[in-house]
Amino acid sequence: MGIIMAVAGSAIGLGNFLRFPGQVAQNGGGAFMIPYFIALLLLGIPLMWVEWSLGRYGGGFERGTAPGIFHSLTEKAKFIKYFGILGIFGPIVIFVYYIYIESWTLAYTWFALTGKYAQIPDAAGMGGVLDGLLGQTPGSSLSTVYVFFLITFLLNVVVIYFGIRGGIERLCNIALPILFVFGVALMVRVLTLSPSANPSWTVAKGLDYLWKPDFGALLHAKVWVAAAGQIFFTLSVGIGVILTYASYLKKGDDIVLSGLTSVSTNELAEVVLGGSIVIPAAFVFLGPDVLQTMKEGHQFGTFSLGFVTMPLVLNQIPWSAIFGFFWFFLLFLAGITSSVSLSQPAIAFMEDDFLISRRKAVTIFGIVTFVCVQPVIFLYGHGLLGELDFWGGNLFLILFGTIEIILFAWVFGMDRAWVEIHHGADMRVPAFYRYVLKYVTPVFLLCIMGFWIYQEGWDTLIMKDLKPADRPYILVTRVVLLLFFAVLAVLVAMASKRYKDRSASQEERT
Amino acid sequence: MSLSASIFLILSWVFIIGLMIFCFRRVFSKKEMD
Repeated sequence: MGIIMAVAGSAIGLGNFLRFPGQVAQNGGGAFMIPYFIALLLLGIPLMWVEWSLGRYGGGFERGTAPGIFHSLTEKAKFIKYFGILGIFGPIVIFVYYIYIESWTLAYTWFALTGKYAQIPDAAGMGGVLDGLLGQTPGSSLSTVYVFFLITFLLNVVVIYFGIRGGIERLCNIALPILFVFGVALMVRVLTLSPSANPSWTVAKGLDYLWKPDFGALLHAKVWVAAAGQIFFTLSVGIGVILTYASYLKKGDDIVLSGLTSVSTNELAEVVLGGSIVIPAAFVFLGPDVLQTMKEGHQFGTFSLGFVTMPLVLNQIPWSAIFGFFWFFLLFLAGITSSVSLSQPAIAFMEDDFLISRRKAVTIFGIVTFVCVQPVIFLYGHGLLGELDFWGGNLFLILFGTIEIILFAWVFGMDRAWVEIHHGADMRVPAFYRYVLKYVTPVFLLCIMGFWIYQEGWDTLIMKDLKPADRPYILVTRVVLLLFFAVLAVLVAMASKRYKDRSASQEERT
Repeated sequence: MSLSASIFLILSWVFIIGLMIFCFRRVFSKKEMD
């Protein structure tokens, strides 16, 4: 139960209540939901089982991060450890921007108590509060958000250092049920909202926007990439975090049921609660035109929509200051459980493969990520956060998921993989998933990648859709990401010496 | 709200809530056995 709560705590976070509605709006509402559910069934659930199995298998070799775990899969192809770099690189990239958004939730917790947004009646005013916080309006400063960022960052470092297992599990056991109760209360309030700005902007039309299927959108690779990316992001698969958590499991632990339970808990938070709060509220307060401009990329970032609409909803309920305080504070707690988990692969890599003490590993991780967050904060207006989210929160996850499934089903071998998944499991995975794991998931992922490269790859590479003023900043961001990746490749090469030593000592023992 | 949107919403919710009930019933019965 504890590990289910820890993984659910890692999965349930800002992705459910902030990123999901933003992705839905940016990808045309109902057009997004069909690829989303297909991705859940054919990518999310199978990859959840794959990661739990791979992690537990690698844990048996005392390896807790992707390079070491991949290395343990086969004796024949030792280069495959380098595919595991993404399993350390990806979570660091996500951590760097995720922690900044987490600090916004802490700032809004404070704003709720001090009544900063209590008197603001419309979306334009609420957008101004967010822009002011992020230093995007004339005369505004970053001092407020920076203070909240420092508090958030320090708190994360403290939790990472002191309370990894007991701390996170205890936090999840308390925070998650309360978050669900508040989520249900807010959902009920949103579903009973009356149109305010325009009589035709009703909750029913907001739900229609979200749930009306649009089969025409299935031809756009961008929507499939976004839907698959959201599934990966929200379930924390394709990141590398579950590999590290699962490496602590025992051989007899039931990963089939644990994986499925954390998936269903996360989806309840995302689709039932997240989908019924922000999008219908955004429709009531902002109308369809704003959602359309979001789709075209002209208004609000992926994560911003919730910060504009949620305070408007909270202003409509009694004791809005108290509700607002609890809501944003619980989002903050949900964010912490996720961001702390994002640090685990890098920390485990340093501890396990370089025998660095936990204290030193946390210090190194803290310094590196602290430096990397600075451009995200100070150059926010040039789109650095969105750029990191696109690579770290979408493409790297899909790429890493593709690598994992191919290694597991084809290199490790489907027969061994099937046995490994079922070790300790009371429940059998439906037999057709054997074919899904071997053929459907890898082909599906390769098709998404292939079509995306064909349709969008070149335009993304030449930064076609970006403002000319932003291009130099984005280019530098990409170069830094590449250099960082290269540094990790060198570190993995150095670490592989220890893999050999451990393999030798294990052979001696046997 | 259109008929297709209503059907899609209901099917999705039933699937997710049903899956969750199924999983947690098994988790708790397993916990009791342990």
